Amino acid sequence: MRRITAWLLILIVALAMAFPGYAAPKATTLTFWTFQELHKGFWDDAVATWNKAHPAQPIALKTEVYNYDEMHNKLLVALQSGVGAPDLADIEISKFANYLKGKTPQLVSLNSIVKPVLSKCIKARFDNYAKNGQYYGVDYHVGATVMYYNKEYLDKAGVDANKILTWDDYVAAGKKVVAATGKPMTTVEVTEQWTFYPLLSQYGSDIFAKNGKVILDSPANVKVLTFLKDMIYKDKIAIPAPGGYHHSEEYWAFMNKGGAASLMMPMWYMGRFVQYMPDLKGKMIIRPLPAWKKGGNRSAGMGGTGTVITAQSKNKALALKLMAAAKLSKEGAIKTWTLLGFDPIRWDVWSDPAMKADNQYTNYFGKDIFNMLTDIKDEIGPTVITEKYPLAIDLIKKNVSFKALKEQSATPEQVLKEVADELRK
Amino acid sequence: MAPKKRQFRPATLVAMLVLLAFSLFTLAPFYFMLVSSFKPGAEMIRNGINVNLQPEIMSLQNYGALFTGKEGIYLHWYKNSVMITFFQTVVSIFLSAMVGYALAVYRFRGRNLIFVCVLVVMMVPIEILILPLYQLIVSIRLIDTYAGVILPFAVPPVAVFFFRQFAVGLPKDLIDAGRIDGCSEFGIYFRIMMPIMKPAFGAMTILQAMFSWNSVVWPLIALRSDENMTLPIGLASLMTPYGNNYDMLMSGAVLSVIPIIIVFFCNQKAFISGLTVGAIKE
Amino acid sequence: MKKSLWRSLLNSPKAVPYFFVAPFVLSFLLFYLYPFIATIQMSFQRIAGFGDVTFIGWSNYGRLLNEHFFNALRTTSQYTFWTILVLVPLPILLAVLVNHKRVRFTGFFKSALFIPALTSVIVAGIFFRYSFGEQATTLANAVTGLFGMKPITWLQIKGPAMFALVLLCTWRWLGVNMVYFLSGLQGISQELYEAAEIDGAGAWDRFRCITLPGLKPVIIYVITISVYGGFSMFAESYAFWKTATPGDIGMTIVSYIYQMGFNNFDMGFASAIGITLVILVMLVNLIQLTCFGFFKKDSD
Repeated sequence: MRRITAWLLILIVALAMAFPGYAAPKATTLTFWTFQELHKGFWDDAVATWNKAHPAQPIALKTEVYNYDEMHNKLLVALQSGVGAPDLADIEISKFANYLKGKTPQLVSLNSIVKPVLSKCIKARFDNYAKNGQYYGVDYHVGATVMYYNKEYLDKAGVDANKILTWDDYVAAGKKVVAATGKPMTTVEVTEQWTFYPLLSQYGSDIFAKNGKVILDSPANVKVLTFLKDMIYKDKIAIPAPGGYHHSEEYWAFMNKGGAASLMMPMWYMGRFVQYMPDLKGKMIIRPLPAWKKGGNRSAGMGGTGTVITAQSKNKALALKLMAAAKLSKEGAIKTWTLLGFDPIRWDVWSDPAMKADNQYTNYFGKDIFNMLTDIKDEIGPTVITEKYPLAIDLIKKNVSFKALKEQSATPEQVLKEVADELRK
Repeated sequence: MAPKKRQFRPATLVAMLVLLAFSLFTLAPFYFMLVSSFKPGAEMIRNGINVNLQPEIMSLQNYGALFTGKEGIYLHWYKNSVMITFFQTVVSIFLSAMVGYALAVYRFRGRNLIFVCVLVVMMVPIEILILPLYQLIVSIRLIDTYAGVILPFAVPPVAVFFFRQFAVGLPKDLIDAGRIDGCSEFGIYFRIMMPIMKPAFGAMTILQAMFSWNSVVWPLIALRSDENMTLPIGLASLMTPYGNNYDMLMSGAVLSVIPIIIVFFCNQKAFISGLTVGAIKE
Repeated sequence: MKKSLWRSLLNSPKAVPYFFVAPFVLSFLLFYLYPFIATIQMSFQRIAGFGDVTFIGWSNYGRLLNEHFFNALRTTSQYTFWTILVLVPLPILLAVLVNHKRVRFTGFFKSALFIPALTSVIVAGIFFRYSFGEQATTLANAVTGLFGMKPITWLQIKGPAMFALVLLCTWRWLGVNMVYFLSGLQGISQELYEAAEIDGAGAWDRFRCITLPGLKPVIIYVITISVYGGFSMFAESYAFWKTATPGDIGMTIVSYIYQMGFNNFDMGFASAIGITLVILVMLVNLIQLTCFGFFKKDSD
């Protein structure tokens, strides 16, 4: 008896080994590189959703998170030498132009999945990642720049945020706030670009003209930079951001203790409030930017990270499908809000009830964030990105704001001229 | 060697106070790291550097997160770093000591040329060689392997230079004595000279281990998959331009220092005894 | 027969040195020479993207004549100068103190001074970056505050920024250099000191006439690697400012290479900077080594 059992067992094992194919279809492995831990969570969720919806074509996503600089370098080296690149990768906007250089970009055109939904999206966000009519990246967010006000301080100074419509109003309100609270109205970045750049974009100006010509030293840009300088040294309502920029540890500590009465940053900065400035919960309100003149643009699309598919991918078709499902579908767009706290590039979901559901962001800032966004959706101008964009951003970070606003070693005209000349070379 | 009476002179006290002051300077950051590693990351952002012990908010949570977070990948990083450091140190010390010794002791054709090459290579920053080196490692199929990380630095010129400098000062008559006794050249090296070079080995083991344990630029490029990455690269991935994961960063950093300190202490004993041997002999 | 030939080869003082140096020669040919030549080649090319390469002669080198490169050159030279000025005498002093027979707890002191070298800059950088923060409460400002100074924005002004860089470097390398000098001190014969003591030489005389000359090879070594280390410094700068430093105040030559090569994907220009750097460091070290009579001693 025991012997028969043994034989049976052997038979079963042998059969099992001979016909291994009864299990579920084998998952295709895609690799994904990112520099943002949070994006990994977003993509893991997207793949889980995909596998539920497409049991016949399962995907296993292998995500690798690197340091920001290191990931971009590694990707550059891999693409340049033709081996070792992942299927999908996140590329930050200020580095993106590097990957489009040369005659044959090493990225896959996404037109087949982007074109069908483009009319429901903020188109400017796709132009950032385009070359010769081909779209190469899909962003996570619009990055609409807004004003975060500390309501307590405004109340103390008797200022109504809804009545600050122009930058002149803002300066006037700022003077009241400074007088009433002793706190600066706002802070200005001097070692990064998030104050100067959104302001000039909102003004309708840019670093480059549409034809790629450098216009960084245009009178409009000089005016914007002078305005910032005046806010600090003439009107005395602003200070250079402690630590130099709004992502420094000094700044979080400063702001968390109620350092300034307002702050201009893109929507994605919400996450930083929630994570690093917990003590301001319930005190901050979000409003559109003051306009340069009445009826002018009240926002600017800033920052961003484009997800790309590399030319080295062996499963391009599948990667395209996954990308469409994860980031371009309605469900995907909603997830960029619910999982990441970003303003989705598809504006047709902004009115979706999901956008008002309780989460850490609505708890912090209140529920009508997206009503405000819908309000300014047509006031987000495009930005021109050329091959020199990485260098331009680098120089704006290092030289423009720093020399004009912090060191005051050069006037706005001088420093803009100097940098523009360097870009023209 | 009867132990001398330890007389205490004011000068000695001053010397020790100077050493103590510098030790405090070098140790302060570790104290800070250790204390912060037990605190929630938010605390650091709110109050900046703060070295107070605050038992009410200190816990082992950050350490727990290290081993459970990201499916325990931290342990993979740890293992990789240990392996790479071990092999790289052993191989590079063994080889570069031989090269340095030969450059110091023998006169042979091409010696100066090789020495100049050592000096030149020492001056080449790795950053500019990365692209061609990557293509090379890909073409010899060593990408994403330990060997790919280790081989290009198997004979580090800095170590060659160090051993050469050390061996120049070795007593040459020992070599001649060895030859008269009928030792082969390798015999002379391994049996007579290597033991004398012990202090140099001690110092270089520590330095190479440290170089290997902390190197970032090359391993990042030569390795590909997440679970093959080394510790510093993994730790760096916890820092993003728009906010760092302080909880894991600090505890991860503290644990990352420990093995290298162990290597140091183990070698320090050999190192010190090597020194004493030298002192008695003369 | 073959075996004995092999053995006689291994024993011949003529052939043996080549066996000893073979590992270096092999690794040099494979891992340095080829990439180095490739880099030289790239420095004469415009690499305008993927698979888009043109030979452009010397113009990458011509582009070096710009303000940023000069800033980087200035910062790097100053940094090298200061680090050598600090990191040679101070470690010698500490080595002599630790080595002194009446000083106790030497094991502790050696370890304490050495441990910073074991830590990666990534980790140490966080501490230093915080310590040199600009609020009045940061460590650096608290210390200067004791002397009645106003808070300084350390990392945004040239002088203080250099101070922060040199301090971080000192913190990391103090112990390493001390170890170098310690191993050098072991090579000095104790008899010399005893003889000097009998002749009535004071501590300073003994240090000047016995210790310093005895340490000379190690001093040469330390200065040589410090020149190299100083000119190729990047990690310290990265720890404080990442890759873009305001107004170039902390930008070194290697950070400039990094910015141009990777941030702007201009590998040709980056290679040209790199080659220039190598030549520069060689020159500085050649002058330095000649001054110390290194080659003279070598050829006798």
